[in-house]
Amino acid sequence: MNTNVSQKTMLQAQSIRKSYGKKGSAQQVLKGIDLHVAEGEFVGIMGPSGSGKTTLLNVLATIDRPTEGKVLIEDADVSDMKDAELSAFRRKKLGFVFQDYNLLDTLTVKENILLPVSLGRRNRSGAELAYQAIAQSLGIEGLADKYPHELSGGQKQRTSAGRALIHRPALVFADEPTGALDSKSASNLLDTISKLNLERRGTIVMVSHDPVASSYCSRVIFLKDGRIYSEVYRGDKSRQAFFKDIMDVQAVLGGEAVDVV
Amino acid sequence: MTLFELVLRSMRKNIKHYYLYFFVFIFCTSLYFVFVTLQHDVSLPDRMDGGSVFSQAFLAAGFLLLLIVSVFTIYANRLFFNRRSREIGLYQLIGLTKRGVVQLLLLENTLLGIGALVAGIVCGALVYRIFLVLISSLLGFDGVVTVHFSLSAMYQTAAVFAVLIVLTSIQMVRMTYRTTLIDLFQAENRHEHPSTPANGPAAVFGLLGIVLILYGYWQSGRISQNTLFIGSLAILGSIIAGTYLLFRVTIGWLFGRIRRAANGHLGLRRALSLAPLMHRMRGQANSLTVITVLSAMTLTMVAAAYSFYYSAGKDTRNALPYDFAIENGESNAAKHFGEELDAKGIRYDHRKVDAIRLTGKICAVPSLSACEETTLLVLPAEQLRQTGADIPVPEPWNAAMYDGNAKLDRLTQDPNADLPKTIEMDLLKSESGNKLQLTDVVNRFAMNYNVYGDQLVVSETTFRALKAGMTALPQYEQEQMKERPDYAAVAFDTFQVPDKPQRKTASEAYAAFVPEGSHPFDYEREYRDKLQSFGLFIFITGFLGLVFLISTGSMLYFKQMTEAEQEKRSFITLRQLGFEKKDILKGIMRKQLFVFTIPLAIGIAHAAFAVKTVSVLVPSSIVVPSATAMGGYVLIYFIFVLLTMGYYKKIVKAAI
Ligand SMILES: Nc1ncnc2c1ncn2[C@@H]1O[C@H](COP(=O)(O)OP(=O)(O)O)[C@@H](O)[C@H]1O
Ligand SMILES: [Mg+2]
Repeated sequence: MNTNVSQKTMLQAQSIRKSYGKKGSAQQVLKGIDLHVAEGEFVGIMGPSGSGKTTLLNVLATIDRPTEGKVLIEDADVSDMKDAELSAFRRKKLGFVFQDYNLLDTLTVKENILLPVSLGRRNRSGAELAYQAIAQSLGIEGLADKYPHELSGGQKQRTSAGRALIHRPALVFADEPTGALDSKSASNLLDTISKLNLERRGTIVMVSHDPVASSYCSRVIFLKDGRIYSEVYRGDKSRQAFFKDIMDVQAVLGGEAVDVV
Repeated sequence: MTLFELVLRSMRKNIKHYYLYFFVFIFCTSLYFVFVTLQHDVSLPDRMDGGSVFSQAFLAAGFLLLLIVSVFTIYANRLFFNRRSREIGLYQLIGLTKRGVVQLLLLENTLLGIGALVAGIVCGALVYRIFLVLISSLLGFDGVVTVHFSLSAMYQTAAVFAVLIVLTSIQMVRMTYRTTLIDLFQAENRHEHPSTPANGPAAVFGLLGIVLILYGYWQSGRISQNTLFIGSLAILGSIIAGTYLLFRVTIGWLFGRIRRAANGHLGLRRALSLAPLMHRMRGQANSLTVITVLSAMTLTMVAAAYSFYYSAGKDTRNALPYDFAIENGESNAAKHFGEELDAKGIRYDHRKVDAIRLTGKICAVPSLSACEETTLLVLPAEQLRQTGADIPVPEPWNAAMYDGNAKLDRLTQDPNADLPKTIEMDLLKSESGNKLQLTDVVNRFAMNYNVYGDQLVVSETTFRALKAGMTALPQYEQEQMKERPDYAAVAFDTFQVPDKPQRKTASEAYAAFVPEGSHPFDYEREYRDKLQSFGLFIFITGFLGLVFLISTGSMLYFKQMTEAEQEKRSFITLRQLGFEKKDILKGIMRKQLFVFTIPLAIGIAHAAFAVKTVSVLVPSSIVVPSATAMGGYVLIYFIFVLLTMGYYKKIVKAAI
């Protein structure tokens, strides 16, 4: 598994703090987080509900800005980029998958997937090839003309993954991507995503409360009260063995460790 | 929390939300109050000939106003109910019964309705004076206006709008009892599921929509006087059905074709405009049709009214080329009138124009069967030109017919279509040439229209020959003894008064020289009468148009507000995908342009054809006034586009 990981740094977080609310009565959600993700890694983030997983992911993913600290993606400091710059950066380098799919419901599967690559209208044939490739790996070629409301949850999440991956982003962020799926579609999706990631040498950061989902990662970070509590590496272990490790940490983490969505 | 507190709280929230709705409601109430007060105002009609026309006009206007207000409130009410469905569902979740919810909604609706009603009447009473001044100046009344506050108008307004409040309350009760809790929670997400319509039927119905509209347009160009009623109904039906199909099928079908051609490569702009429009239009076909038809009606009304008002002077000139024209035989009237004008120090230009009056037949050239027997008034072009009239001299033995009603008589047919015709004067022997060629029909009069006979203009030489032939008839002297001779040489004394204020004085003096019991046909009087009735017309259509415009604009605005909220989620997603706010707004702008422009453009097209059909009533050109009226309409209309864009901007800005 580690063969995919190079020495090049993809994502770096330096003492990230994030508080919500007005000064004085502010609630600090992230209390100083340092993180280093190398190219090709598949990092999982786990932790009890309210521990700040989504907040951290949003800050890392440039969707939200940290109150303090820096986020570097491929050595570019994204925490002080202007909006236009940031947008262009997101469009080129990042991909997103969310628990509730966030598909545009007036667009078909194909239109949804092609959306990120459709701004420059020059290389339509290139985009078409990219679509065919991604649709095939995700097994949704037959759904091109279907609308989201005609799809199952698994199919929707595959479409969403297709949209996140079509432009070959260097970095993919996923927030509970399997949260609304049954266990079979969940493993199916994770299988495909990790395989694709291996092929494309992409980097993934995924928030999940599900130890099974996290066991697909190469490393899992545990958050508690806005701080990194611990992390476990998969190394050369089998997925089952890694799953056990994760369960062990969770048991230590505390009673209501497993998130209830 | 008591029910009343709950009501107050939600009202405070809603007033902010529905400010435009209340503005429209208050505006309509005020205007209705003004109309009703004007209808009952006794002081105004006194100054107008035909006071009953005055109150009838305001009665009709009030009725139309109520119609649009009802459509508007019922539409808005349903939209708001859907928007608030989650809130209504929550009330039920926390234990309020349906009955309780109904009580809450009714109390709220009644309080707000009464509030708006009172505000409307107060505003109406306050602005009534302005309206009165405006209408007085439009109708050319002078002097002070006195304001009467009419209690009966207030009662009527209150009663009518109370009925409206009751109607919307009934609607609310029905909606509350009919919807289940789950409906309420899903209402926000339950916008019509998109689906691709079957291509074959869509093409058929889509084209049928276009065909129906074009058929209506084509028929409107062929409507004739005897099929006026049935014809108009058929045209109206065809165009309305076509418009409905256009929204229901055609536009979706066309957009679908563009989309299929894109084969998934839609791009952000089209993803934000084409795709949602394609799916939403179908569900809104009803309201869009209503909006379009109302816009077309309003535009037609306003454009026609403004055309009439705008061309009143020119049209009167077409009918009465001379300020005053006195036919001979009227006992030296012309001489005395001239002396009277001199005495008053009025500058004028007095010219005599000869003419002959006799019977004749106007025949189509190929078949002599199609003849029309009429009385002719033959005038010499050279003498008319002497008076300053712009009248070309026809070739010898040619004649031009001057008829200000030519366009109206033939309706839409070209009056010159079947020329030349021959004119035969049986009376005259052929040696002097009893035949004229009718080569031209001009859509105005050469002599004031009240004089008897179809006006033919010929050259001076032709005129002399005809006159000589007539006076040489052996029975001519004898004929002249008759009370009303069948043929005669006549003369007109024409007077032009160049100075406007003096013309008014002259017009007043003229009435004394008109034979007892007959109407004085003079330019100034006729012009003022026209201005008065068209001023009334334009006053009413102007304000009704404004109400229609604001109502339809608000309907679209409300709908867009709801859609913006439904699309909030997509905007967040798009921002996450790395699209900039300005790109997203460009896509939305394009959607807004379609949403507002499609009904407007179709409405304008409909109105253009309707105005063209009505234009036979206006001899002079309607292009300038119609275009002006439509331009003003479009301008105000686009305020709503700006409002909507502002709302969307807020939502996109908030989307990260
Ligand atoms: N926009 C926000 N405003 C205020 N507080 C927030 C906001 N977003 C998250 N929080 C708070 O931050 C904490 C962490 O939230 P989140 O990151 O969503 O947790 P997790 O995803 O781990 O369940 C929670 O206590 C939540 O209430
Ligand atoms: Mg979360």
